[in-house]
Amino acid sequence: MAVPHAWRAARVTPLGELNAPPRMTAVALRLAVQVVLVWSLWRGLYAQTGTTAGLSRDQAVTYAVLAVLASRLRELDQYAGRDTVLQHMHFGTIVYWYLRPLPPQRYYALRAAGEQLYGLAWALTGYVICLAAGVVEPPRSAAVAGVFVLSMLLGQWVLYYVMLVLDQLCFWTVRNTAAMLILLFAQNLLSGVYAPLWFFPDWFVTMSAFLPFQATLSVPLSLYVGRIPLSDAAFQLCVQAAWVVVLALFTRLLWRRAARRVISQGG
Amino acid sequence: MSVKALRIIWRVTALNFRAQMEYRTEFLLMIAIGAIWQVSVIVFATVLLSRFAGMGGWDSSDVLLIPATRMLAHGLFVLFLGRMHWAGRQIQEGRVDIYLMRPMPVHRQMQLAFFPTNAIGDLTVAAGLMVGALSRSDLDWTAGRITYLIAAVLGGMLLEAALFTVVASAALRFPAADQWGRWLEELLGTFGSYPLNVLPKAVGGLLTYGLPLAFVAYFPAAVLTGHGHTTGVPYWLAAASPLLGLLAYLGARLLWGWSLRHYSGVNG
Repeated sequence: MAVPHAWRAARVTPLGELNAPPRMTAVALRLAVQVVLVWSLWRGLYAQTGTTAGLSRDQAVTYAVLAVLASRLRELDQYAGRDTVLQHMHFGTIVYWYLRPLPPQRYYALRAAGEQLYGLAWALTGYVICLAAGVVEPPRSAAVAGVFVLSMLLGQWVLYYVMLVLDQLCFWTVRNTAAMLILLFAQNLLSGVYAPLWFFPDWFVTMSAFLPFQATLSVPLSLYVGRIPLSDAAFQLCVQAAWVVVLALFTRLLWRRAARRVISQGG
Repeated sequence: MSVKALRIIWRVTALNFRAQMEYRTEFLLMIAIGAIWQVSVIVFATVLLSRFAGMGGWDSSDVLLIPATRMLAHGLFVLFLGRMHWAGRQIQEGRVDIYLMRPMPVHRQMQLAFFPTNAIGDLTVAAGLMVGALSRSDLDWTAGRITYLIAAVLGGMLLEAALFTVVASAALRFPAADQWGRWLEELLGTFGSYPLNVLPKAVGGLLTYGLPLAFVAYFPAAVLTGHGHTTGVPYWLAAASPLLGLLAYLGARLLWGWSLRHYSGVNG
């Protein structure tokens, strides 16, 4: 496919955001307040405690603030753009995805790539400001920084497939709001968005190791703050890559089966 | 409100409930999501309490009273007034224009748009947490304390409803304001369940006077557990939280009425 065509599809969501300055102002304000609140909460919690669950105060604060920034990578108001799979299924317009010269899976991937790049701009800006203000610690070495970037890339890739599976669910269920909310909750809890997984009981950490969610956020952030040592990085990166392969094959299968279920105006 | 109006509300609610029951799996999952969402608050609170003993100088049994009050208030809000949370979407879809043509008040029509199945899960978990918090509490639960707790839960419900009504009023003019509602829900869920004195004073002040989140559960729980003088605000103000909830809701409804009179449609 020609690069200009891919670019046009990828920039749909970012353009929508750039054309709504109040929404961007809201995002900036929301991100700033959330960072300040999270930073304050974790510093307050550590006020009378030393290292807990293998995390010092600065490590825990850095982890929590980076988790807030990373959450911007895929948090766009897609609903306002009326281009979510759920909305298309509800209004019966999903059929248009199959009438274009661009295959639906490629359109979906390009849209997601555009969104994640747009989110990356926000997250990077926030990171630079937090680093300059001393809110987060810098990576301990160039090697840690390199491994973190690689791990984050793989994590976002896994997250893309997790979100894709949620959207693909729409093809099989007439209403799937609840199922999607449950899976989104599982994603937030098991990836360490609510609190670093290291604070949870051992059985919880063991269970989450068998699921793809921790590969999306917990692993890269733990590598960054040093909770996972560099000596274990290779293994963790391999696990993330394995999840990418497994989920890629699974979602490919689902795309094929989903296409058979698309009906137009009652069939 | 007349008897006839109450009868219509009951009939529409019963129909909405039956409509939700049409999709049984979705109905059960919606109850589950309400419960799971609330369990997440309990999990987070439990993890923090076990790792960080004595949050802000509060015993864990006292701390539990904060999420229990907030969750119960939130569950009641979802059941009775929670559709304000979805007002932004209804405005974006132009449904307000339809509501304006009917003889029933727009606010009531919004509340009757669908039955909030997830409230069943919300309230089940919240009631369980409240029973747990009360059974672990060493306080002497006199009639006065119980009455104040009930008033606090109702006040918290009204305060949350007031905040979402303000966002809905803004959404009548700026449909994108709907996003603020989601942030508000996230803030209430995350920071409404802990003693706010673990935060720096400026941040605590922001969550008291900027966004009155502290009045939902933190201040009432502080008054009940004897921490009322350590909240950083005058004791009488903390104690008046339930009344402030009522006043805030009445104010928000006035704002809603004013915004609706100036509503000019999604297309201008």
